[in-house]
Amino acid sequence: MIAAAWICLVAPLGAAVAITVAGQRLSRRGAGYLATASVGISFVAALVSFSVLLGDPPHDRSHPSTLWRWLTAGPYHFDLRILVDPLSVFMMLVVAGVGCLIVAYSIGYMDGDDEERRYFAYMALFVFSMLLLVQGGNLLMLLAGWGLVGLSSYLLIGFWHDRPSAIAAAKKAFVMNAIGDATMALALFLLIQRTGSLDFEVVFPRGASFGGWAANLIALGLLGGAVAKSAQLPLQTWLPDAMEGPTPVSALIHAATMVTAGVYLIVRTHALFEAAPRVQELAAGLGAATLLLAGLIALVQTDIKRVIAYSTMSQIGYMFLGAGLGAYANGMFHLMTHAFFKALLFMAAGIVIHALADEQDLRRMGGLRRFLPRTYWAFLVGALALAGVPPFAGFFSKDSILAAALAHGWYGQILWVAGMVGAFLTGLYTFRMLFMAFWGEPSAFVREHFHALRRDVVGVSLAVPVAVLTVLAALGGWLQFAGIWTPVSDWLDPVAPALVEASGLQEAISSLLAVLLGVAGIGAAWWIYGARRAKAPKAQPLLERKFYFDELYDVLFYRPAVLCARGLLALVEQPLVFGSVSGIAEAVRGLGSGTRGLQTGLVRTYALAIAASLAVATVVFVAVR
Amino acid sequence: MKGPDVVWYLAVAAFLFSTGALGVLIRRSPLIVLLSLEIMLNGANLALIAFARQHGRGDGQIFALAVMAVAASEVVVGLGLIVAMARRRLDLDVDKLRTLRG
Repeated sequence: MIAAAWICLVAPLGAAVAITVAGQRLSRRGAGYLATASVGISFVAALVSFSVLLGDPPHDRSHPSTLWRWLTAGPYHFDLRILVDPLSVFMMLVVAGVGCLIVAYSIGYMDGDDEERRYFAYMALFVFSMLLLVQGGNLLMLLAGWGLVGLSSYLLIGFWHDRPSAIAAAKKAFVMNAIGDATMALALFLLIQRTGSLDFEVVFPRGASFGGWAANLIALGLLGGAVAKSAQLPLQTWLPDAMEGPTPVSALIHAATMVTAGVYLIVRTHALFEAAPRVQELAAGLGAATLLLAGLIALVQTDIKRVIAYSTMSQIGYMFLGAGLGAYANGMFHLMTHAFFKALLFMAAGIVIHALADEQDLRRMGGLRRFLPRTYWAFLVGALALAGVPPFAGFFSKDSILAAALAHGWYGQILWVAGMVGAFLTGLYTFRMLFMAFWGEPSAFVREHFHALRRDVVGVSLAVPVAVLTVLAALGGWLQFAGIWTPVSDWLDPVAPALVEASGLQEAISSLLAVLLGVAGIGAAWWIYGARRAKAPKAQPLLERKFYFDELYDVLFYRPAVLCARGLLALVEQPLVFGSVSGIAEAVRGLGSGTRGLQTGLVRTYALAIAASLAVATVVFVAVR
Repeated sequence: MKGPDVVWYLAVAAFLFSTGALGVLIRRSPLIVLLSLEIMLNGANLALIAFARQHGRGDGQIFALAVMAVAASEVVVGLGLIVAMARRRLDLDVDKLRTLRG
């Protein structure tokens, strides 16, 4: 099992290195196959680990494995080690499974791109980084994976490096994530100072003993990392811009895996968060705020990928809500179903974009149901799962989070209301997108630009992963049926025991209301965008400008930084730095021109000077003695 | 010790040195300046030998010999320079050689 876990970790790294080293010797298609195969190997290895772990008794399912001592610094040492336990295996399955499908999809989607090999090397590197993040056996390994996924996300957002907007988006994502990385690193420093270690089994049991401010600071630092990586308030602005990357990248990194790392972090370090309950509640509150805010913004977006991106932020808000209230297994369950249906939505949208010659604007689409019937059905399943309509996946996972919120007391109930409003918004924006793209009469643009998918490898590689994910999005939710059938909660319980347990009544109320609101949202979307019975309300500038967060950060951080730099240039750089350098030069030059008069060129003046000095020296010598 | 007192020798040495120094300071012909320099050196040599004789030790004499050797080399260089100046038809006047003025 340990060997399988290591194979799972290093297979994608091997593929990344091999593609990089082989260069032109490997065909473009071959690079795609190699990357897909390596992630497939990871998935099989994860399955092996899972099945072996299933055989162990539930309380004895945590198996660390150390390869060698990585760093030694004074009394502290950190090992290169991984941890195989139910939580990491759960994430390995999601990452490698969904990752394998998306990398396979990329073979078709990236076909004909100039730099396919670089793309697949980055993709394999990303899968390795993500596996390192979830398998890391101490917080330092976790942080290393955390940084590496940030790097590969940056590389892949900016993959089309001849687009200035892609480069800007990549930089924005990197900077936003760097803020989170920094707060996380600070939290780890504090942990080292308190416990002298970063190993999970050393740090977590001592979480409760840190005392007020230290526990709060540590949890806040970790929360900072989590909100940056998961695009939650207040560090959420990078995710929509990250849609500049290729669509499979959006599906894998910015929907299914990397952005959910924040949820994983909260669940993994739940002992530290439970030591700081206020911070944990803050995480839930941020999640609720983000899910509302992102849901509202998604209503007015016109780029199909950006709608899905905001919906991702909103759904991760639900996961934060669950993890923040202590319903860890529910959050992780939603993470898994979300990975299924959100990857499905992105990849179906990718097929649409592909068929329309890279057009992403919803207003130019329409009537695609007739042109892409199978994609329409896949998209519909994904949308129903996202809106939480039974029996599709999102229904089971989202409603269990809402039920847990209802069971958490008055604070949870406030967030529960937010989640309910979010359910309505989800139905509305999801089906607004679906109706705008697929219903109605085909627009002139669609008639002109549509071209059918090819029937060769490209078409197959696009179609098969979407088909698999359609099945998963339709049926994945049955893995857990609240109150009756809870294998996911049982599986994760030894790692992260839930703090709240919803009663059957709360489950029923939450499910019923959430489904009603979701369907109401779908109905409203049908009324406005499907049947066009009502005119679409005018888009509010507040929503179109995304609540002015970009502008706010521009005023709060960017401009003061520029002003500060300008001020330093005028007040410090110019007078002190340049001033000191040129001042020294000026002084030396002045001294030189002052003393050059002494150099007459007349030999006899020199001789006189020597004689006179000698005379003076003699007099002084004789007189002073 | 026979012969005059050391003061007399020193008086002659001082006279020679001053004569030479005056020549160096006043005259403008490089040839005369060089000659005056030799006179200064010989004044110094005389003082050295006088003291050596007074103290009955050989150090001063050896030192004087070294000074003569240096003076001879210096004359070689100096005369060479003067000949070179004459060949280029430059004025033999130290005041006119002011290229190094700052």
